[in-house]
Amino acid sequence: MSWLTDPNPALTVLIVAMLAPVLTLMAGAWRPASVRAVAVGTTALAFGTAIWATAIEPSTFSMMWIETWNVQFELAFDGLAAMYTLLATGIGLFVVLYAAGYMPLHREHKGRPLIDDARFFGFLLLFMASMVGLVMAQDLLLIFVFWDLTAVASFFLIGFDRDEEDARDSALMALLVTGISAIGVLIGALLLWQEYRTFSLPLIFEQMESSSTVTWAAALIMVGALAKSAQFPFHFWLPRAMVAPTPVSSYLHSAAMVAAGVFLIGRIFPLIELEPWLGNALVAVGSASMVVGGVVALTRDVFKQVLAYSTISQYGYVVVLFGLGGTYGVGGAMFYVIAHALAKCALFMTAGAVTEATGKSTLSESGGALRGMPLLAFGSLLAAAGMMALPLTIGFFKDELFFAAATEHGRAMQAFAVLGAALSFAYIGRLWIGIFLGSVKHEHRSIGALMTWPVVGLGILTAIGGVWVLPFRDIAERAASVSFRQALDLDLAYHLDTRPENVMALSVYALGVAVLLTERWWRNSLRALVSIGEVIGPAHLYLLTLRGLSRLSDRVHDFEVRDLRSRIASIMGPAGVLVGLAVIFTPTEGTFVIGPLQRSDIPLLTMVIATAASGVMVTLPRDHLRMVLTLSCVGYSLAVVYAFLGSPDVALVAVLIETIFALVLIAMLVLMPKSILRYEARLRPARWKLGRDAIVATIAGLMAFFVAWSALSRPSASTTVISRQIELTPLAHGYDIVTVILADFRGFDTLGEITVVAIAFLGIISLIRVGRLR
Amino acid sequence: MTTELHKIAARILLLPALLVALGVMVKGYSDPGDGFSAGVIAALAIALQLMVFGPGELDRLPLIRYAPYAVFLGLIISLLTAFVPSVMGQTLFTHWPPAGDSATVFGTLEFITAVAFDVGVFLIVFGFGVGVLSSFARAEARIRTSEERAARSDKDNSGKREAGNST
Repeated sequence: MSWLTDPNPALTVLIVAMLAPVLTLMAGAWRPASVRAVAVGTTALAFGTAIWATAIEPSTFSMMWIETWNVQFELAFDGLAAMYTLLATGIGLFVVLYAAGYMPLHREHKGRPLIDDARFFGFLLLFMASMVGLVMAQDLLLIFVFWDLTAVASFFLIGFDRDEEDARDSALMALLVTGISAIGVLIGALLLWQEYRTFSLPLIFEQMESSSTVTWAAALIMVGALAKSAQFPFHFWLPRAMVAPTPVSSYLHSAAMVAAGVFLIGRIFPLIELEPWLGNALVAVGSASMVVGGVVALTRDVFKQVLAYSTISQYGYVVVLFGLGGTYGVGGAMFYVIAHALAKCALFMTAGAVTEATGKSTLSESGGALRGMPLLAFGSLLAAAGMMALPLTIGFFKDELFFAAATEHGRAMQAFAVLGAALSFAYIGRLWIGIFLGSVKHEHRSIGALMTWPVVGLGILTAIGGVWVLPFRDIAERAASVSFRQALDLDLAYHLDTRPENVMALSVYALGVAVLLTERWWRNSLRALVSIGEVIGPAHLYLLTLRGLSRLSDRVHDFEVRDLRSRIASIMGPAGVLVGLAVIFTPTEGTFVIGPLQRSDIPLLTMVIATAASGVMVTLPRDHLRMVLTLSCVGYSLAVVYAFLGSPDVALVAVLIETIFALVLIAMLVLMPKSILRYEARLRPARWKLGRDAIVATIAGLMAFFVAWSALSRPSASTTVISRQIELTPLAHGYDIVTVILADFRGFDTLGEITVVAIAFLGIISLIRVGRLR
Repeated sequence: MTTELHKIAARILLLPALLVALGVMVKGYSDPGDGFSAGVIAALAIALQLMVFGPGELDRLPLIRYAPYAVFLGLIISLLTAFVPSVMGQTLFTHWPPAGDSATVFGTLEFITAVAFDVGVFLIVFGFGVGVLSSFARAEARIRTSEERAARSDKDNSGKREAGNST
């Protein structure tokens, strides 16, 4: 209860954020019409808490979570967490407001019930909450948990229109690409644990040294982060994710999901810095994404597709900035994320608002929306200007930092930066001009204030950032100082001179305008180029892999469920082969020992041979009753073997089990229709089938033989345990060690086994009572 | 195939078999055998009655009708012995009395919680054996009666159809 009297800011932020989806879902269960209001209220509360926590000192919270692995539930509301929490909740507030206006229209289009609101806002806020948890988590396992939670929430958000196949496929693709790559994060975390025996990032940073394990760990975590940020070659999930309702796109692809990727890079940046080639890899991947995203964005016709590819391209900038490193690189990356989130979110909202108003979603069908929606046009003009890095917007400074970082790395990087920025200038300009200027091509209906004002608000914020950059700069500086592990100073101001940054900015505008004016000439050739990329690109590879895996799984499944024989064969065969490979490839010295044979062993040997002989005999009879009886013959002979070995407990159990087992089998035979039994007994399987069965049986038998042999040849490992247990048996009030082991030393195993027995019993009884058996 | 001899033998064997089961369980801590073996022995004793007298016998033997519930009673007892120590701040499966302390003795039976756990195992195994065999027997009896009924109504139906055809 100490939290109530002395609230820990980090924990408070997480709890308040987690309350948002919970309260929203509860409101949905109570009164669906109230969901939107509750969602807005709880998000505003989360944003307010985030501002409060940012204003006071950075705080941490730590609690033992999994003691055996030394995993802490460790949160820290540091600069990096503050920045991303503010983004997630602040942009989240704008998105939720917008969605409150958008969702009624969307439901109307799709003919969905009111209760869908609860599902929508529930998952949207769950995403926000897991994002808040992710950015505060200091423990790699905790990071992984929240990371996957965001993936789960995004799956349901992207696939929100679940009746549409396209939506389901896209949701699955996003989940697979970001989920499978997330395993990289987990493996990386485990590698780091192996090296430092802790998952806690602060502890790892304290003692880290450059080694190949650490480098690989950082690289694997980077792969997960890059896939989440939709970087080449994992970028293809993002354009597909545009099937989601627009609020989802504007949230996930401005401030949340893709931002999570670069956040993680920022979080583990000290590890990446250790090895130069990791930074170079980031530059390479980021550059590729910049170019691919930018070029494709220029050729797209659908608004949201333009924006999707522009997101890929612009997160490419951020990744390049991280790769370049240094004050301007890391600081610039943070600042870029803020500026991008504000402007991109507004642009996505604009696209959705225009589509709702006009019913059109492509550039070729739209134009002249300025006249009908001047306020929306104004808001999105500010946002677009921010994206295009025009002066007097926050975007100008993001490009200035980018150019400053590039200047530190020579002429080639400078030229590349100008090219990339010009691409960004061109595709955003093309989008805004295409929507709002030109001749009026369509009617439009009015949309609510809730869909316009968030755009205007974000646009004004973008403009404010261009005049009064101080608060944004502070947030970015504090975040960068966490990644950089030292305080840094970003110098952001307008300078009226010919410093390289200004020259580069001017050449960007010139180049961008040139690209826009010459669209007629490059349009067709660029489209051809892009369609080649679609044929041989990674998206195609993904599809082929998915199809191949699906076909393979179908084939295995068809074989496995065909009959009992193939089911057993598909378990025993592969298991036998694997064990056989293990036997071949492990050093076998001392593993397979043939002990001496004495006269006193003769009875035992006889019984073993008898057991083996009855085992062979089981294959002979064709009618079921005889099969059951021969089978129990094997069991009884085995019981005699145990008795000769001097283990009366096991022998007793074997006899009893064999008896009741035979009874149950015979009772089952009685239940089966006689005609089927007779038919089965007469069946003569084909010769090749008999051969196949014999091969599988031989493999499985050899496996069991070698496993048993190697286990019996090396009893030394467990003798100390056994003698210790024998020693302890009288202390446990027993004289029969087997019983004491079952009920005391290994009681937990017994408990698990008897629980299985009880569950199996429940299954048998309900199967028979319900009459599913015949 | 059931003769009088079978019936007499089954009846005579019932009580001794149950006693043996009890003995095996109680003496489990000093001699071979434990709750598991005891459960199987007791279940076999009941199975013998079932085979000789048919499923109707189940309702005549006291308490055997409730044997399936023994599975869950046993599971609860075992779970309690396992988890109650954790409520009292000890690790799971801490038996009482603690190691080395003397326990109350009654013949060869020592009153220790490990025996309670074994009783749970006994109940589960006994309930499982009796429950499965008896539900098989009941299902078999049900199938047989429904087959007989079907055969009879078939005959009736064909009779009616013939009657209908003739009118």
